[in-house]
Amino acid sequence: MAKQAIITGVTGQDGAYLARFLLDKGYTVYGTYRRLSTPNFWRLLYLDIFDKIYLIPADLIDSSSIFEAIEMCNPDEVYNLAAQSFVGASFEQPVASGIVTGLGVAMILEAIRQINPKIKFYQASTSELYGNGEAKQQSEETHFRPASPYAAAKLYAHWITRMYRETHGMFACNGILFNHESPIRGLEFVTRKITNSAAKIALGLEKELKLGNLEAKRDWGFAPEYVRAMWLMMQQEKPDDFVIATNKTHTVQEFAEKAFKRLGLDWEKYVSVDERFQRPLDVNFLQGDYSKAMATLGWQPETKFDRLIEIMADEDLGRWRRCLKGERFPWDAPNYPSENSIVTRMTTSRNRI
Amino acid sequence: MEFNIKMANRALITGITGQDGAYLAKLLLEKGYEVFGTYRRSSTPNFWRLQYLDIYKAVNLLSAELNDSSSLIDAIQNSQPDEIYHLAAQSFPGASFEHPVSYGEITGLGLTRLLEAVRSINTKIRVYQASTIELFGQGDTKPLTEDAAFNPANPYAVAKLYAYWIANIYRAGYGIFICNGIMFNHESPLRSLEFVTRKISNAVARISLGLDSELQMGNIEARRDWGYAPEYVNAMWLMLQQKEPGDYIIATNEMHTVKDFLEQAFNIVGLDWSRYVKVDKKLLRPADVTFWQGDYARAKAALGWKPEVKFDRLVEIMVNEDVTRWRRWLNGETFPWDAYNYLP
Repeated sequence: MAKQAIITGVTGQDGAYLARFLLDKGYTVYGTYRRLSTPNFWRLLYLDIFDKIYLIPADLIDSSSIFEAIEMCNPDEVYNLAAQSFVGASFEQPVASGIVTGLGVAMILEAIRQINPKIKFYQASTSELYGNGEAKQQSEETHFRPASPYAAAKLYAHWITRMYRETHGMFACNGILFNHESPIRGLEFVTRKITNSAAKIALGLEKELKLGNLEAKRDWGFAPEYVRAMWLMMQQEKPDDFVIATNKTHTVQEFAEKAFKRLGLDWEKYVSVDERFQRPLDVNFLQGDYSKAMATLGWQPETKFDRLIEIMADEDLGRWRRCLKGERFPWDAPNYPSENSIVTRMTTSRNRI
Repeated sequence: MEFNIKMANRALITGITGQDGAYLAKLLLEKGYEVFGTYRRSSTPNFWRLQYLDIYKAVNLLSAELNDSSSLIDAIQNSQPDEIYHLAAQSFPGASFEHPVSYGEITGLGLTRLLEAVRSINTKIRVYQASTIELFGQGDTKPLTEDAAFNPANPYAVAKLYAYWIANIYRAGYGIFICNGIMFNHESPLRSLEFVTRKISNAVARISLGLDSELQMGNIEARRDWGYAPEYVNAMWLMLQQKEPGDYIIATNEMHTVKDFLEQAFNIVGLDWSRYVKVDKKLLRPADVTFWQGDYARAKAALGWKPEVKFDRLVEIMVNEDVTRWRRWLNGETFPWDAYNYLP
């Protein structure tokens, strides 16, 4: 019989890629989504898998909806990718981020424990857990030092996942994924924000790009390769936690430089720093060490920094070109003209130290 | 006659009805504070500790819930505190396996709600966060300092770890004066009855008076660093009087097993513990922490704090108090107290 999987957060970048990956492996795929007043299915449409998966409305703030989804599907594997996943927004909505991103995980694990503790569970853990520790490569052994409400909530989730593994004997894995990007990344994330803007600037649709902290260093990989690592973790004999990364780190500025260059532009003419996009507290250095994943899962990244930027910049340029020619296709950017109307905590002086 | 130009300091204690809340309220009243405390309404009153310390009438009580942001905003606005001592929590680790989500909701997110309220009302308010030894969990076998690695082993500890980091994030991100007091176990005659020390002292008192014939225990090999609660609340106050906020371990640096506690407690009433104690596997936690010893060097250096009441004296205080209470009770006296309503 075909294996069954539930992906929470199937409408996001990782959810969509993972759904496609599991379909290719012959799984029956169920995905949970939150109802919104605007449909949020463009990634599934873009990957042409919208009709191939089953969608279940569920919300991590409602344990009964989670319980129902798991009981209904009785899956072999649950991939918990749903979260309030944007670090910047977690400073604006710290409590909601804690409920969804942190407590939501305890609710899923409780539901699995009660319905069928044999169901395997993948938790989307994150390099943000490391926060502002020492500036050196981070492995599974590195201490956590979360620096945002998002990271604190993910840390809660990380430990709760380990606890259900250790005390209830459940197959529960944490994938400590470093940043992973793609043409279907959300537009608030700095990589996609840059490639989308650079494409618009190249086509004369925009004049400037405002960014936050240009010095921040991140370890950026290619999302379709990272979802494969999630699946690999669930196929092992024993559940464990793994760092998934490229082992290389680059600044936001380098990303901007290369993305603009790819489209024939000089970044310095267009990019400025806006304190609105600074965070009350930022993480300055992330660089992973995927040795354990390579040794145990046989996983390693193929797409490196330069190639990643090419893929994203080319795709966004292609999309805007098609759009200008009158083509219509599933896509997020035309509905997101600018962030100028968004007021954040950093724009109000009260919160400055 | 002395005139104090400065108005009295004002403090808000969340969880004033608990052991630490009551002792801290007493300490702050002695220091001339105006004391406000939040409590949760319950169908049975939960004020016996305040009555027992004879401060019930001296404090101002505000009804508030950690899962209700607006009640926290009201509590802060109504008390206008200089200092907030955040002691309220779902605080019993053993029960956190039974309802893990609500522990996260109250013990973890409660602090986020409180700090959001502080941030929006007055960022000058100093905040104390009741952090805990449970953050460290299993693993380390050295005395634990503020730099030891965290490794929480129950849902209570995971929620407290979340709160510990939220405190750090609001300190670094918003400049709020907030301290984590990483307190090792601290006990007293006001400790609640589920906690192992009071469970023992209460049972020993009852057995010595012929009211019970045995005591069921979980993991009696577990080692703990036990201090005396009234001294620990003094450390909380000291942390908020410093120039800079910081995180501090508060401990005795001594370790004893639960078995040591039993032996000592039964000794005081002249009985042999091994005749009365039964080990019940049901009372073992799914993942029990077995080794904890603190190192309060930083608190000693920076706050000038050190523990006075050590293990033997602590056991004596608790057992004598519970024996006295049961004697008074059998003599027909009534007084504020928890044990007579509690049949384990």
